[in-house]
Amino acid sequence: MTEVLLEIKDLGIQFKTGEGAIQPIRGVNFTLKKGETLGVVGESGSGKSVTSLAVMGLLPEKKSKIVSGSILFNNEDITHLNERQYRKLRGNEMSMIFQEPMTSLNPVFTIGEQLGEPLKQHKKMSKKERKEAIIKILKQVGIPRAEQIINDYPHQLSGGMRQRVMISLALLCEPKLLICDEPTTALDVTIQAQILELMKQIKAEKNMSLLFITHDLGVVAEMCDRVVVMYAGEIVEVAEINELFDNPLHPYTKGLIDSLPTNNARKSKLYSIKGQVPKPDEIGKGCAFANRCPYAFNKCVESAPPTFSKGEHLSKCWLQESDRQVNIQ
Amino acid sequence: MTESSLIEVKNLKKYYEISQGLFKPKLVVKAVDDVSFSIKRGETFALVGESGCGKSTTGKTLLRLTDATSGEVRFKGEDILSLPYEKMRSLRKEMQMVFQDPYASLNPKMTIRQILLEPLRVHKKYSPEERMKKIVDILEIVGLSRSHLDRHPNEFSGGQRQRIGIARAVVLNPDFIIADEPVSALDVSVQSQVINLMLELQKEFGLTYLFISHDLSVVEHMTDRVAVMYLGKIVELADTEELFANPKHPYTQALISAVPVSHPKDVKERIVLKGDVPNPANPPSGCTFHTRCPFVMDKCKSVEPSLTEIGNGHITSCHLYSKNKEENINAIIYS
Repeated sequence: MTEVLLEIKDLGIQFKTGEGAIQPIRGVNFTLKKGETLGVVGESGSGKSVTSLAVMGLLPEKKSKIVSGSILFNNEDITHLNERQYRKLRGNEMSMIFQEPMTSLNPVFTIGEQLGEPLKQHKKMSKKERKEAIIKILKQVGIPRAEQIINDYPHQLSGGMRQRVMISLALLCEPKLLICDEPTTALDVTIQAQILELMKQIKAEKNMSLLFITHDLGVVAEMCDRVVVMYAGEIVEVAEINELFDNPLHPYTKGLIDSLPTNNARKSKLYSIKGQVPKPDEIGKGCAFANRCPYAFNKCVESAPPTFSKGEHLSKCWLQESDRQVNIQ
Repeated sequence: MTESSLIEVKNLKKYYEISQGLFKPKLVVKAVDDVSFSIKRGETFALVGESGCGKSTTGKTLLRLTDATSGEVRFKGEDILSLPYEKMRSLRKEMQMVFQDPYASLNPKMTIRQILLEPLRVHKKYSPEERMKKIVDILEIVGLSRSHLDRHPNEFSGGQRQRIGIARAVVLNPDFIIADEPVSALDVSVQSQVINLMLELQKEFGLTYLFISHDLSVVEHMTDRVAVMYLGKIVELADTEELFANPKHPYTQALISAVPVSHPKDVKERIVLKGDVPNPANPPSGCTFHTRCPFVMDKCKSVEPSLTEIGNGHITSCHLYSKNKEENINAIIYS
């Protein structure tokens, strides 16, 4: 068995709001192995970004709290590290690429200055070595004229170039874990294809683990080895990529796959999941998906399903209970 | 053009000037450069392309939300670019628009009742009592109910807001709706609901859509004909099925191949384009796509290709398909 790099056990996160506390993340469990790409899929509000921020220790300190569970990185508990300890990890052992390449670079520093920062923090390098390292990494991510680009400001670059700079920034210290939060959502399809190619190639070269957060099932199909499907703050299904597309066990996953336009006959009515994602305060004691599920029965409303496993394929749905085992094809 | 076309666009141009300073010559950005197409009654016509290719600007100029530099737009045979303001305003009850961002296109201070009554009031349609009945009807058609009337937009989710945006456009009973990326801000499960709604409304009211989108899987699903735009020009226009089965222009080929697969086992021959879209203020000479084209020839760098019909209403502007015999052979080899 390959080594586990990141393990999240029964994670629960609470946010304070004006009206009291809500809990957007409830009992999230997953593991990320070394050299693996794990996709996290879900709609907005399903808690995928909050989970990734928790791993990076970037949750807003005053408003949020990890109320249960733990995050193990390299067999070390990092759940309650303080800011100083986290700083040693972030950008060095783990780093993150954000969705908006337009807003995640600081507009008042040049590319060179921004890329120098993680090296200053984590590596003992002379100014000259730093510059060489930056140019080398920029060339690696396919930026032309790297020697001049380091003196440019972010607004002088296009969206695709900025996302390349973000990727190079994340890669500088050769992290073991790279979290990508919707890295291509803001980009055009042709640029998206470029960036995905680049990320595949870099991952293969550096043998990193990727945690790939997206809502686009097509991107997941291209990039990932395994997939975690999240719905309303819970993990509803975990499976190997082909298994997930061939044989989804949770009605939500099946609904998502079926509602892709490419899986429906042209001009026909698209399959759609009725209703909408519940707000965190609307979730009752039953299954969070029960009110939208076409297969729901009494038990679903009464109590929340535990995780059932079928080999490596995990799902949280009463249909998979051993005496039921309904096939939802 | 045929009689059945609802809207005809001829040589439409929209240039923006950028001031470079007091004594420097102005830079001209050709956002829409010599675009012609016609939309038949009852069909869904798609404009696709990457950001900055001029597809939204084309949509806006059709409604005269921004003024065209030159060209002709005929709606039911009438040239609407030369209409006086008042007339254009009253004509807009027949042509409406659905915007991309449902969070920004509804006034947060108005209730749903006010939002839906406004177009009827502006265009003086129906008596006040009839108006109320009308908006309740339309709310029910788009899947909301009377109980939502006195709420504000912030109380709704993205999908519901887009339904309200669509209801606002449809309440006037228009013939023509421009939908500018109506589903790209929505989640997958909600996106399919909104697409279904648009298809239903089209059947029920006999609507004609101009569907502007960059999402090719949605375009393939719900449109009849597609025009592909690149840097302000149409580079290919064909029936949807024909375009997806048999794309001719190298840009269209790359665009279609860049769409992510729908199943991990699908293997796709991918054409990854090099580089970014060039700066529209300083477009490349000749064919504007030659800087990224995998089949570039010497001719492409200097001579601008013109739109040529290659059969059955399928037109494309690429030197690979111009009438020269030798080049045609090349085209067959490459495509």
